[in-house]
Amino acid sequence: MNDVSIYIHIPFCKSICSYCDFCKLLYNEKWVDLYLDSLEKEIKSYNISSKVKTLYIGGGTPSSLSEKCLEKLFTIINKFNFIKNYEFTFECNINDINSNLLNILKKGKVNRLSIGIESFNKDNLILLNRTCDYEDVKNKINLCKKFGFNNINVDLIYAVPNENEKILLNDLNLLTSLDITHISTYSLMIEENTVLYINNIKPIKEKLDYKMYKIICKFLKEKGFNHYEISNFAKKGYESEHNLVYWNNEYYYGFGLGASGYISNIRYNNTRNLNDYLKGIYLLNKEIITNEDNFKYGLILGLRKINGINVNNFNEKYHTNILENEKVKKLIKLNELIYENDFIFINEKYIYVQNEILIKLI
Amino acid sequence: MKSNIRNFSIIAHIDHGKSTLADRFLELTNAYSNRNNETQILDNMELEKERGITIKLNAVSLNYNYQGNDYILNLIDTPGHVDFSYEVSRSLASCEGAILVVDASQGIEAQTLANLYLALENDLTIIPVINKIDLPNANVEKVKSELINSLGFKENEILLCSAKTGLGVKEILETVIEKVPAPVINEDKPLRALIFDSHYDPYKGVVLLVKVVDGKIKVKDKIKMMATSSVFEVTELGINRLTNISQTELSSGMVGYVCAAIKDITKVAVGDTITLENNEALEPLKGYKKMKPMVFSGIFPTETNKYDELKEALEKLKLNDAALTFSPETSIALGFGFRVGFLGLLHMDIILTRLEREFNLETIATSPSVVYKVMLTSGEEIEISSPNEMPEKVKISYIKEPYIYTNIIAPTEFIGPIMTLCQNKRGIYDTTEYIDETRVNIHYYIPLGEIIYDFYDKLKSSTKGYASFDYEISDYRVSKLVKMDILLNGQIVDALSVIVHEDFAYQKGKDIVNKLRKTIPRQMFEVPIQASIGSKIIARENVSAMKKNVLAKCYGGDVSRKRKLLEKQKEGKKRMKMIGSVEVPKEAFLSILSDEE
Repeated sequence: MNDVSIYIHIPFCKSICSYCDFCKLLYNEKWVDLYLDSLEKEIKSYNISSKVKTLYIGGGTPSSLSEKCLEKLFTIINKFNFIKNYEFTFECNINDINSNLLNILKKGKVNRLSIGIESFNKDNLILLNRTCDYEDVKNKINLCKKFGFNNINVDLIYAVPNENEKILLNDLNLLTSLDITHISTYSLMIEENTVLYINNIKPIKEKLDYKMYKIICKFLKEKGFNHYEISNFAKKGYESEHNLVYWNNEYYYGFGLGASGYISNIRYNNTRNLNDYLKGIYLLNKEIITNEDNFKYGLILGLRKINGINVNNFNEKYHTNILENEKVKKLIKLNELIYENDFIFINEKYIYVQNEILIKLI
Repeated sequence: MKSNIRNFSIIAHIDHGKSTLADRFLELTNAYSNRNNETQILDNMELEKERGITIKLNAVSLNYNYQGNDYILNLIDTPGHVDFSYEVSRSLASCEGAILVVDASQGIEAQTLANLYLALENDLTIIPVINKIDLPNANVEKVKSELINSLGFKENEILLCSAKTGLGVKEILETVIEKVPAPVINEDKPLRALIFDSHYDPYKGVVLLVKVVDGKIKVKDKIKMMATSSVFEVTELGINRLTNISQTELSSGMVGYVCAAIKDITKVAVGDTITLENNEALEPLKGYKKMKPMVFSGIFPTETNKYDELKEALEKLKLNDAALTFSPETSIALGFGFRVGFLGLLHMDIILTRLEREFNLETIATSPSVVYKVMLTSGEEIEISSPNEMPEKVKISYIKEPYIYTNIIAPTEFIGPIMTLCQNKRGIYDTTEYIDETRVNIHYYIPLGEIIYDFYDKLKSSTKGYASFDYEISDYRVSKLVKMDILLNGQIVDALSVIVHEDFAYQKGKDIVNKLRKTIPRQMFEVPIQASIGSKIIARENVSAMKKNVLAKCYGGDVSRKRKLLEKQKEGKKRMKMIGSVEVPKEAFLSILSDEE
């Protein structure tokens, strides 16, 4: 039987960031307890007997859970059997990191941490409604390493209103000085139903946004990071296995409030309503994926990777010959897609406007 | 019996109630009952109903009993807009009389005059009618005096009516019978029938609308088109009621339709004369003054493989639209298409809409151009209807452009704004005639190229809608004209070239690049838009590069949402045309010369 990938969503946060439009709720111990009960039932209902190759616990803020709740969560998770080289990521807020937490995570077989830092700049942090101090961060990252967590991702948010190139470069310098293995970057999007949107905060100039993207790519490359996905960078061998499952359009389970999954030709989304979830009404909707859909998803996701799509694997998986596809052929002719050494990928010049290429493909 | 036929049409300025009056005639003669409350029966083209205007002439036969005698009244409805005056002239050629309708609240308008002159040229008996007398702001006395003083009618011949309520309509019909002469009957002469319209029926082939002047025509007759010498056998003929009613023959004085299984539409021409193969007439009838198209535009299929379909569609439209001309044209930017000649912008608009609706063809139209006469240094004069036909500057001695002579009728208080507008359009003032103490008819000479875009809209807005406008082509005059090219991303886009007056070139260049910058969406890279004359760049703007649209967080679940987003974006791209590597909205080509924002 094939090894599986699993995403588990913990929607609780101690405080709400002004830009976040993920599924999240303010922390409430009683609800967390009930939530974990329901989560356990949801997971059990899928009756997973295969081995787990990647597991990702995201949020919300999974690290916001009390020790008691964390113990409960890990009891549920430890029923899974992992393969030998599994990847188990746990998302943490930098402020939650301490020996107790790291102990629990270590015991719970977590082997990769994803830490939201976002920025060190005071003005940025105020706008994002976050806190963070470089010295503190540095100590905490060192503590993580002491506990044996060597595979660490940090998140960076850029293109924050009023941010300039200098602030960005400073953030990049400080982040890379932490000697971590993976950096995810996010250009700030002001989404509906966020505090930023409600406060009518305007995004930065698009020209600057583009400039910042180029600065990041160049800077991190020089620091030895491999730009392997549009907005993700990793030291060699530290690419996120779990995210690659998404980008390779492979199956994965999604559990928890608002989570989504893709199993046996069905893409599903869970409810974002906590009451429903607690009552055991998990599913919000299901989409049956036809071969044609799947081909499109394969392109949309695969071309997020800088290396693009491996032609042989792709053809085998989708029973097609992608090189015979008229749209693909045309884009290769226009030099918007590049075909090289059995891979098809987006011309580096156009990575920033990937959607424009995708539109021509679907 | 033949003396009981009357052929007449109704002429009027747009909106003066022509089609409503026709409806009343149909009711009165029981051609239809107004059970369904359907209005404007003769405007059967969807577009006509939608816009409330008559585009095509339409013929219908009515039966009416007057003083114990049965009469056949052939009513030919005519369009009112200036662009379609050729349709009017065609219908008038098959009539002996015309009802001139004037709105009681508006009075004489520009098109009233134009149509009246056409009718007089055709020696028609005119019956002046003041319509809409039931309106609260009707001023019957004032309009009467306009008709008497400006057009020379006698007070006792002016009829009053309300086509809406039916008041006075009967009297009009009876006046037609009394005053309009019966057609001259020559049944014994060889057949001569004038084709005044035609359309294509998928089952019957080309259907000809004819007026039989001499002789008679029967089913199975072998008919000959005098201009093309092609021969066909008549399969069906008859008269037009609301539907066609087939007959065994049409004879001198009658108006009706003829089918002869004509599949090749190039073999028939409106204005041609039909005769019999075995008893040929010596001389064809005097056809129509050939309408020369004044405005030319390149029409290209959006999908390049639809060229043949476009050709077929244009051929079918030309069948009942004699003024439409077209010849193949190739554009580097837009591929294979046609240079199409129109009578004016409304005509062009109608054709483009019909191509889309009736033939399901999406097209791109380039900015319209008039016909210029270019005198070469070699002494040869050539005519060009596309900026891209403009010879090199060194080979040009001088260029002439067409001027029009205007009738602008408006209340005196708007004389100032009208003159300012005409002056801005390079107009040359001629005279102002006073229709009465409150209204004037202003005459200017204006380059046609200046009025084909937005002159009419501008005129309406600067006169609160009170001015009416009509024109005739006057002459060609020498002008300092230059070809201006537009470059996208450094490449000349031939489909965007325009001819402009040298003195206005810089401003026009600035306006055009500015307009394009606003119309062309952001691209995958920064795109310069430039205007140049010869090799000299005179204006420049940049379309900035695309905004971020990909870097959003993408965790697993996002992908179906993302696909929906992509598909929505893709939908928006359908109105775009790729020019090199730049996406240009279809409308950009047509609209670059219009001034409005």
